[in-house]
Amino acid sequence: MMHKEILLVEDNPDDVELTRIAFTQAKIANKLVVARDGAEALDYLFARGAHADRDPTHLPSIVLLDLNLPKVDGREVLQAIRGNELTRSVPVVVLTTSIEPFDVEASYALGVNSYIQKPVDFEHFVWAVQQVGLYWLVLNHPREGDD
Amino acid sequence: MFEDESTPTHSHEDRSRRAILSAGIGMAIVDMQGRWVEVNPAFERMFGHQAAELIGRATAELAHPEDLDAVRSAFESVLKGETPVLDAQHRYLHRTGAIVWAQANVAMMHDDAGNPNYLIVHLRDISGERESEQALQALNQTLQHRVAEGAAALEAMSHQQEAFAYGISHDLRAPLRAIDSFAALLDRQASASLDEAGRDYLARIRAAATRMGELIDSLLDLSRANRTEMKSEPVDLSLLAEWTGAELQDAEPDRAAEIDVAPGLVAAGDERQLKQMLTQLLDNAWKFSRDRDRVRIEVRGERDGDRLHVSIRDHGTGFDMRYADKLFEPFHRLHRVEEGAGNGIGLAIVQRIVERHGGRIRAESEPGQGSTFYLDLPAATIVDPESKPDETPA
Repeated sequence: MMHKEILLVEDNPDDVELTRIAFTQAKIANKLVVARDGAEALDYLFARGAHADRDPTHLPSIVLLDLNLPKVDGREVLQAIRGNELTRSVPVVVLTTSIEPFDVEASYALGVNSYIQKPVDFEHFVWAVQQVGLYWLVLNHPREGDD
Repeated sequence: MFEDESTPTHSHEDRSRRAILSAGIGMAIVDMQGRWVEVNPAFERMFGHQAAELIGRATAELAHPEDLDAVRSAFESVLKGETPVLDAQHRYLHRTGAIVWAQANVAMMHDDAGNPNYLIVHLRDISGERESEQALQALNQTLQHRVAEGAAALEAMSHQQEAFAYGISHDLRAPLRAIDSFAALLDRQASASLDEAGRDYLARIRAAATRMGELIDSLLDLSRANRTEMKSEPVDLSLLAEWTGAELQDAEPDRAAEIDVAPGLVAAGDERQLKQMLTQLLDNAWKFSRDRDRVRIEVRGERDGDRLHVSIRDHGTGFDMRYADKLFEPFHRLHRVEEGAGNGIGLAIVQRIVERHGGRIRAESEPGQGSTFYLDLPAATIVDPESKPDETPA
C-alpha cells in the first residue's frame, strides 16, 4: 500500500520538478507518475491509449490535480474519475495556483477530497506538498479492497 | 319667443357656414351618401385641391391607398349611426401625392325633425406631430440600442476583467514559484561555492519574488473588491475591529499594543468586505506605529441618523497632508519600504469597499503625531423594541 503510485497531473515542468523535490525531501518514496495534460491523465487511469497495457484495477494511491490543463482540464478529469465505478473512490487533491471562489466551489461540487493553493514561496510549497503526502499516504486509511 | 326663431334653419346654417369658412383647420360637410358637399379654404390648402374639384366626390377618394378601407368604414359607421362621433387618425393624400396625416373628428348633424342630415368633418393636419413622434421613436430606439450596446460592452469588460484576474492569479504566480524555489534550491545546494555577493543576490531574487507574489495577491483583492457580490446586513464593526486587533497582536505577541474600540458601532453592509476594510486600516495603523514603544489605536464612532461615522486613530508616523489626495490611489505610496509601506494597493481596496457601500473615507494627519481615518457608512436599521407586535405598551 505504501508504494502505490502518486499520479501528478501537471503541465508546468517547473512545478513537476518542484513537486518531485518536495516529495524527495519529505522522504515519500512512492513512484511519481506524471501526466502532462488531462487527456494523458485519463488514459493512464482508465488504461487506454499509450497506457493500454496497464492493469486498470491498479490505481494510484492519490491523484494530485492541477486545474488549468491543456486538452482536458482538471474539472473534466475530476468529473471523469468520479463518474467511473472503478476510479470513483481514488483520493483527488486539487493542487493549483487559483483560489478563485468559483474554482474552489466547482471542485468541491465535483467531489474533490481537498483543495490546496500552491504557495509561491518554496518552503511553503514543500511544506504543503509534504502535508498532502503525509495525510493521504500515511495517515489516511483507504477503503478495504482498494489495494 | 325670439324673432329669430321664425327662420331658425336658415339662420343656423348661415352661421355654421360662416364658421366653417373662417376656421383655421380643415372643415367640411359630407352628405348622407358620403360625398363632400362643402370644404373650407384650410381644407383646400391641406390637400391641394380646389373645393370645386372635391364637391360631389366620395370622401374615401382622398384617403391614402393603405388606409382606404379604414377611412371608408370609419365614415360608414358614422353614417349608419353606429358611431356617434368619430375621432381617428389616418393617412390621406395631398394632390402632389405626399402623405397627409390627419386627425378626423366626424359628427352627425340632424334636422329639426331629428333625422340624420349631414356630417360635419374636422380634419387637423398632424403630419408634423407624426413626424416628430416618429423621429422621437427612432431616437428612442437608437438610444435603447446604444444603451444595450454600452451594457454589452460593460459586460464584456467585466468578463475580461475576470479573465484577466484569473490569468494573473494562475499564470503570473507559477513562474514566480519557479523563481523563488530554484533560487532557494540553488542557495541550499551551491551555497558553499558562492561568495557573499552571490548569496546576497540569491536572497534579493527571493525577496523580490515574495514581494511580487504579495503584489499579485493585492491586485486580486482589489479586483475582487470591485466585482464580488455584496450583501447588506447589520455588521458590528466594533466586534470586527476587536477581532482584527487580536489578530494583529497574535502575529506579533511581543509588541506592546493598546487597541481601544468603542462598542456598538453597527453598520449596514457586507461583513466580509467590511472586515477586509478594517484589517487594512488597522494593519496600516499598526505598521506605521513601528517606531513607537507601544502601538496605540482608537476606534470611535457615532450614529448620525441613518449614517455611521467611524474614526480610526493611530499615534504613528503619520503622513504629510499635502499628499492626502494621493493616499487612496492604487500603487501610490507616501512612505518608503523601510518605513513600513506596502504595495500601495491596500487603501485603494479600502476606498473601493467604502464606495461600494455608498460611503466616504478621508484621512487627516500630522507627521510624527499619527493619522486618523474618518469613515462615513450606512448605519444598520435600528429595530425599535416598542414596535414589536407581541409587546403591550406599559
